[in-house]
Amino acid sequence: MRFMPRTVAPAADRVRRREFIALAGGAASAAAWMAPARAQALPVIGYLGSESPERYASRLSAFREGLAETGYAEGRNVAIEFRWAEGQYSRLPALAVELANRQVTVIVAPGGAEVALAAKSATTTIPIVFEMGGNPIALGVVSSLSRPGGNLTGVSSLSVEVSRKRLEFMHEVRPDTKKFAVAVNPTSPTSNSQLKNLHAAADALGLELVVLKNSDEQEFGAMFTAVREMQAGGLVFSSDPYFAYRSQQLAALAVRYAVPAMTQSRDFPLAGGLMSYGGDFGQSHRHTGIYAGRVLKGEKPSDLPVQRVTKVELFINLKAAGNLGISFPPSLLGIADRVIE
Amino acid sequence: MSDLPVAPRTSLFRKYFLALFAAVVAPLLIAGGSEAWFGYHDQRARLNDLLDAEARLAAVKIQDFIEGLHDQLSWTVQLPWTENTGDRRRLDALRLLRQAPAVRSLSLIDASGKERLFVSRIGLNRIEGGDDHSTNPAVIGARSDRIWFGPVTFQDGSEPFMTIAVAGNRTAVGVAVAEINLKFIWEVILGIRVGRTGEAFVLDRPGRLVAHPDISLVLRADEAAQRPLQALRAAILARPTGQAAIGQDITDKTVLAAMAQIPGVDWSVIVKQPVAEAFGPIYAALLRTGVLLIAGAVLAAALAYWLTQRMIGPIRVLEDGVARIGAGQFDHRISLATSDEFERLATRFNEMASELSVSQERSERISRLKRFLAPQVAELIDRTGDDHVLDGRRVEVVVVFCDLRGFTAFSAQAEPEAIIGVLREYYDALERVVTTHGATLINFFGDGVMVLLNAPVSCSDPALRAVNMAIDMQRSVQKFLVSWRALHPRLGFGVGLAMGPATVGRIGSEGRLNYTAIGNVVNLASRLCSSAEDSEILIDRIAAKAIGSSASLVELDARVLKGFDQPVPVFAVVSAPTP
Repeated sequence: MRFMPRTVAPAADRVRRREFIALAGGAASAAAWMAPARAQALPVIGYLGSESPERYASRLSAFREGLAETGYAEGRNVAIEFRWAEGQYSRLPALAVELANRQVTVIVAPGGAEVALAAKSATTTIPIVFEMGGNPIALGVVSSLSRPGGNLTGVSSLSVEVSRKRLEFMHEVRPDTKKFAVAVNPTSPTSNSQLKNLHAAADALGLELVVLKNSDEQEFGAMFTAVREMQAGGLVFSSDPYFAYRSQQLAALAVRYAVPAMTQSRDFPLAGGLMSYGGDFGQSHRHTGIYAGRVLKGEKPSDLPVQRVTKVELFINLKAAGNLGISFPPSLLGIADRVIE
Repeated sequence: MSDLPVAPRTSLFRKYFLALFAAVVAPLLIAGGSEAWFGYHDQRARLNDLLDAEARLAAVKIQDFIEGLHDQLSWTVQLPWTENTGDRRRLDALRLLRQAPAVRSLSLIDASGKERLFVSRIGLNRIEGGDDHSTNPAVIGARSDRIWFGPVTFQDGSEPFMTIAVAGNRTAVGVAVAEINLKFIWEVILGIRVGRTGEAFVLDRPGRLVAHPDISLVLRADEAAQRPLQALRAAILARPTGQAAIGQDITDKTVLAAMAQIPGVDWSVIVKQPVAEAFGPIYAALLRTGVLLIAGAVLAAALAYWLTQRMIGPIRVLEDGVARIGAGQFDHRISLATSDEFERLATRFNEMASELSVSQERSERISRLKRFLAPQVAELIDRTGDDHVLDGRRVEVVVVFCDLRGFTAFSAQAEPEAIIGVLREYYDALERVVTTHGATLINFFGDGVMVLLNAPVSCSDPALRAVNMAIDMQRSVQKFLVSWRALHPRLGFGVGLAMGPATVGRIGSEGRLNYTAIGNVVNLASRLCSSAEDSEILIDRIAAKAIGSSASLVELDARVLKGFDQPVPVFAVVSAPTP
């Protein structure tokens, strides 16, 4: 500035000051524009639940944990829009369409193949992150685990695959009995494959299987009565979200009817049921949260392989066993992930 | 001072700037450059060591994972198979599943190659299945090498699995074959951090990704996407052992990577760190040097500007002063109080100006003196610079007057050109004579001339000198008179001289200053000239006495002269015959 001829310098000064003011003004107005714009642009997760918030509570907290791992917190930098089917799975497709019309950033469809399929039918553009217990390929949700393609990806647990293990464990607890009852939800897309699996296992173990079909909580009591009447060694629940979300109810009925029963969900023994063997839903819902976060960050679902939660957990309730007059073999006690005393 | 030459200000500024730039920036450049150069090499060497160590550490961690599985499996192949050990074996196997979550299923094969036990997390357990495994490569491999690692397979094209078979120390204990879910290495690989953002990954022998902190990359099992990682391994293999290589990772980021091999499974553990982070300190040093360079340049410029400003002011004043003095304004004084060389220079200029003014005054005075002094006298005064001789004083002088006879009549009749021509020849002749004799020509008035001897410069024998001069005057004027008489027949030339005391000195007004003599002797000489006939030289008594016999004089009758009460004795020079 000092090197300029004196008459020019003030003019240049003035010009620069004007530029600076223009810049500063521009920045200020840009900031004024951006602040509300960012508030409006808060990404929205459309959360499709098959049951009620109360039944999903533990799953939701695991999901939020996963979201937090990728840096998202509800209300702070992401909004969550919930749609609950309240146990009426037939409502799921309509709720999914609602979310799709709402143009949410990502749809999270946890809690089984029904939810995933409902979301899949609602949109082909909005990314979907599912969570289910069965094999997503066999259920027609994705065509490949490593490269799901399209707008879907998600997490699957081994719950469906291990339903035969439940029969094996139940047989180990009641080695003297050959007759066992199996509860199947006929509306579940996995029911047929699970039944096939269970029959094969029963054949291998030399057991007689009585299949009880049930898709209505009002009929639960009748089911337990039937088990008692047929003198079966125990009741093994196939893997199904409808059963899983009603673990408390089932546990109460098992206690009331004094039926040794086993489900996929740890909630069952925790509520007084005998035992459970299935995937760790805490992990699967947490990974669902992580994937939702990664999709929010801009990753394409087609680039995210379907993850399988490999952890399978065995929960045993010794108190329930005592009430039923059952003693657990040491092999089971030794390998249980948790023994409730 | 608008007529100054083009201001050389930029050039002075540039000189200072270049000098200061060289003084400030060059050392900075050298220091910064060498720091960057040596820093880069040191950092490169340090990174080599660091990454090599990290790679080996990562390899050890993954090897620990495999060793752990090996140890667990070893338990199941310590005791030989007998008929009633089945149930205990089953318990052991189930406990192993509990202890080692990565093991999905385990088969125990007896010495004959029969499957005695199979336990699984997913499938049904089998006791005494009895399937023949003697041709299973896992069993054959384990029997010969105690441990066998199967190839990495991707179940459903996604999840990586590997079979490990472990044999006991003797054939009777059989072989344990376990299916391992390699996803569990993820927890190991996730725990490895190189620097701030560096990470590790594992490739199997064919170059498939076995473990990576981003597990979805592994699960994607996309060979094409993993090609950059294989290229990175190839780049490391191309370097000498223990040297890190620079390459691209999956996200096209440039990374520095080192590798360690895990024996047995034959996997490569590669650790990588972004080059930007690895060389961060060097970049920081370069940035520092750059900032210092810019600051140095700015400092040099500021200093140069300041120094130039300090110089320019006094130089301007000096330049202005010199220009004024050069233009003749000798009374101008340069006033500078910088108390340095500039002030001294200004003082010198001032002294020069005053000396110039003195010498100019003198030369002006001398040029004025030259008008009436003989050139010799003028030069003398010029040389000595002393004009005190011209000061007024009373001195014995010889005054010579001469004029043309009949000039008034001639000038009344003749053409002006003729009059001027005559006078020019007349004056030239007289001036030559006066100069020759070292006399002082005081004045021309018309045809009359007054000449002074012994003043302002005294000379020896002024009277004789005056007479000789008068004779020479007569001689040279008479020569001209021969031709002039053709113009006017009554033209003639007479001289009168007298000796006596007179007041001499510079007399006159400020503007017109003349050297002259005042006194009776001047009057007398003038009267004698007036009374002299053509060709006659009249001399007064004092002069004649001073001449004595040095010249031939004749005493004429005393004459009554105007302004003198008594008749004045008059002498005439006897003219020698013209040579």
